[in-house]
Amino acid sequence: MAKFIFRRILWMILVLFLVSVITFGMMHAVPGGPFSREKPLPAATVALLNAKYHLDEPLFVQYLYYVGDIVVPRITLERTPPSQSENYLIDIDLPDIFGEEAHFKWVNFGPTYTSRSRTVNDIFRENLPNSVQLGIAALCVSLAIGMPLGVFTALKRNTRWDYAGMSVAIIGVSVPVIISAPLMQYLFGVQWKILPVTGWGTPAHVILPAFALGFVNSALIARLTRASLLQVLNEDFIRTARAKGLAERRVISLHALKNSLIPVVTILGPLAAALLTGTFVVETVFSVPGMGRYFITSIRARDYPVIMGTVLLYAAVLIIANLVVDLIYAWIDPRIRYD
Amino acid sequence: MMLAVVGGGIMAQDGGGTVVSAISMVSGDLLTIDPAQAEASSQIEVINQIFIGLTNQDVVTAETGLGIATGFTAEPQDDGTVVYTFTLQEGIPWVRYNADSGAVEQLTDADGNPMVVTAQDVVYGMLRSLNPETASPYSYVLVPYIVGAAEFNAGTGAADAVGVVAVDDLTVQITAPDAASFAPAIYGLWMSRPQPQAIIEEFGDVWTEPENIATNGPFALKEWAHDESITMIRNPFWPGSDSIPQAQLEEVTLRFLDTPQQFAEYQAGTLDAIQVPADQLAFVQADPTLSAEYVTGGNPCTYYVGFDNTEGPSANAHFRRALSMSIDRQAIIDNILQGGQEAAGFFTYPGLNAAPQQEDFPDAAIHYDTAAAQAEFALALEELGAASAADLGQLSYVFNDTATHTAIAQAIQQMWSETLGLEVILEARESTGYFAGLSEDAPTIYRAGWCQDYSDANNFLYDVFFSASSQNDTGFVNADYDALVAEARVEGDTAVRVDLYSQAEQILVNEQAAIAPIYFYNLQLLVKPNVERAPSVTGNEAYYLWSRSS
Repeated sequence: MAKFIFRRILWMILVLFLVSVITFGMMHAVPGGPFSREKPLPAATVALLNAKYHLDEPLFVQYLYYVGDIVVPRITLERTPPSQSENYLIDIDLPDIFGEEAHFKWVNFGPTYTSRSRTVNDIFRENLPNSVQLGIAALCVSLAIGMPLGVFTALKRNTRWDYAGMSVAIIGVSVPVIISAPLMQYLFGVQWKILPVTGWGTPAHVILPAFALGFVNSALIARLTRASLLQVLNEDFIRTARAKGLAERRVISLHALKNSLIPVVTILGPLAAALLTGTFVVETVFSVPGMGRYFITSIRARDYPVIMGTVLLYAAVLIIANLVVDLIYAWIDPRIRYD
Repeated sequence: MMLAVVGGGIMAQDGGGTVVSAISMVSGDLLTIDPAQAEASSQIEVINQIFIGLTNQDVVTAETGLGIATGFTAEPQDDGTVVYTFTLQEGIPWVRYNADSGAVEQLTDADGNPMVVTAQDVVYGMLRSLNPETASPYSYVLVPYIVGAAEFNAGTGAADAVGVVAVDDLTVQITAPDAASFAPAIYGLWMSRPQPQAIIEEFGDVWTEPENIATNGPFALKEWAHDESITMIRNPFWPGSDSIPQAQLEEVTLRFLDTPQQFAEYQAGTLDAIQVPADQLAFVQADPTLSAEYVTGGNPCTYYVGFDNTEGPSANAHFRRALSMSIDRQAIIDNILQGGQEAAGFFTYPGLNAAPQQEDFPDAAIHYDTAAAQAEFALALEELGAASAADLGQLSYVFNDTATHTAIAQAIQQMWSETLGLEVILEARESTGYFAGLSEDAPTIYRAGWCQDYSDANNFLYDVFFSASSQNDTGFVNADYDALVAEARVEGDTAVRVDLYSQAEQILVNEQAAIAPIYFYNLQLLVKPNVERAPSVTGNEAYYLWSRSS
């Protein structure tokens, strides 16, 4: 198992490298640059800004700068004023034997061009936790609604309860967040004034966006759970369990349910990656200071370091989530082995 | 350098209270609140409350008043330069909000002396904005008004050679290369404002964070929640000046929201002042409660259709005139915009200093006139050697993709089709690529806009369409026009300038029709009845003039 995990981590590094090269090439191929404005900046000003951010260098040199800032650690001996280009995720004050101002610095994802003071690391530090909180809440909502609904409709298969439950699920899948989120916002925030309209910071602020995000996915999970559970209920081992004289409640909860989770867990990997790194529509509608909007706005603004940062983050989270899913498979179904 | 702080309590006053506003804000974070780095109206809005320069544009009258200066003199020299001498008000402190004590505090230097705004701070601010290493996006506006600034800004001249010096602690002397009468307005713009050298050198790029910053205006920075909001608190140490009294409000919070979210929050009662979303204007004006809270304000921007004056059918003046005269501007305003905007017969926004008014020069302005348009189009076809509009080839109208631009493009497409029989296809482009493309090679027909940097007609007619201007995407070159706007630039008499600019407009929008102006922007706002907003014609809010009754 350890060997399997180690091999997957090596693959992850290779995948991240390829993702970074492809993204870097593609984003520079798009017309326009970070300093294209409706009211154009004079060519001399653009040249100054390009020089400031090394954008006047050949592409592969820019790429080397970028990767070098992330992977190469450095030690500084003197205090420098805080700078947008010199901001490290890991910044450790070394013992005074190295000098009073000696620091060990590692992992600099670069500045964001849509700010003159903030960095991609700032976005990771300040905005990512908000998206993770919202993502976890939304995942909980999806599972808390989706799984029971799936089990319930499977057990009541082909009754009016099944049709009612699945109708709700169909509506949930079919109504996009861009419709449901503003609708919920209007009803609960503007009309009934029981929840905050936009913003972030208190538990009350989490409820509407988490439900808007979670509801769509709960419908998906309900349908998957139902289909999978129906299939498992026809398996031989269920018949064996019943033949042993186990109570139906135990048959379902101990034997059937666990085995029916495989398809649900399969989609939970990518779903978790998507939810934890933030979603554009919900964060925009509810004005959540998360990561999601940076995926879109950075491309629109040609904010190259933010494009790279968000894409690499998403790729890394996706790979890790899928690794976790693979490990959970082995736990759910002892027949699955990785050696 | 270490900074100590001396305390100072604050007391709420009558008319105080907190206002939560989102006017001019958009979602996302502010790019900066550094006076040397700001470029968008949302950033300048904040800077205008916390940093005050030598002069200040009065939001009510649009005239240039005094900021931290108590007065100035302008002495023309024999070599054509003009020396401006500004005297600063004494004892305006640099302040910072202390989150621990909950009060705005006056900063002191290493020796324990209070830090006050000096002539050196003004000089430092201007030089920092001009310094090529700062890469200020708006230094180019200041560059033409100080001798030696162009060379320094381009990296070929020294800072010492720039004509801005501190004669003593309270006297700034600026040498302007020529007699542009509006130069004092430029010296008060955000990139010309005093900046706290010690703070900037100590804190680098993050000097604008609330725990580091030093400000000198009627408000101080209390909190900047990135991607969410910025909060400013009344600065009790602001002594008040000519056009900027002490603030009445205790606090102002600006939330970074797009207009649909602003509108929802306003309806929920959690925002006091917002910009109305374009698609809600009709609803707001019909609603009995909301229509009573609806106000419009000035917004010095002009929407226009640009033509490539250098190649294709649009290089023909008759063609351009025909297209411009067949656009029914009032119909666009009444049916699409619905916000009470003004149809534009000129390029220059009418509220600017020395701007000619369309009512005063009706013959110079361009008007909707289908018969004249058809006659012009016939001439154009003849000159272009085309039998009909179809022979001109496939023309497209290119615009950046927003709902409003698309609706206006469709209306114009239909007007050209009905009046001239000219069929153009609409080409919506993604914004960033679109703007990048404009300055490289302008499309034949395209959508554009221009907003004021400073309140003078020179900012529209000279800065954009003088033949050598970097903003002149149309490639319009006209010697008579260049002579008129160059003369008006250094003319002292406003009445004479207005007349010169009316002649320049006549060439630009009528005789040559280099562009087709469509409408002058305005702001459509909703303000709660218990909030007293100061009317503004400049597109900027002056929160130091606001108050609330409960």
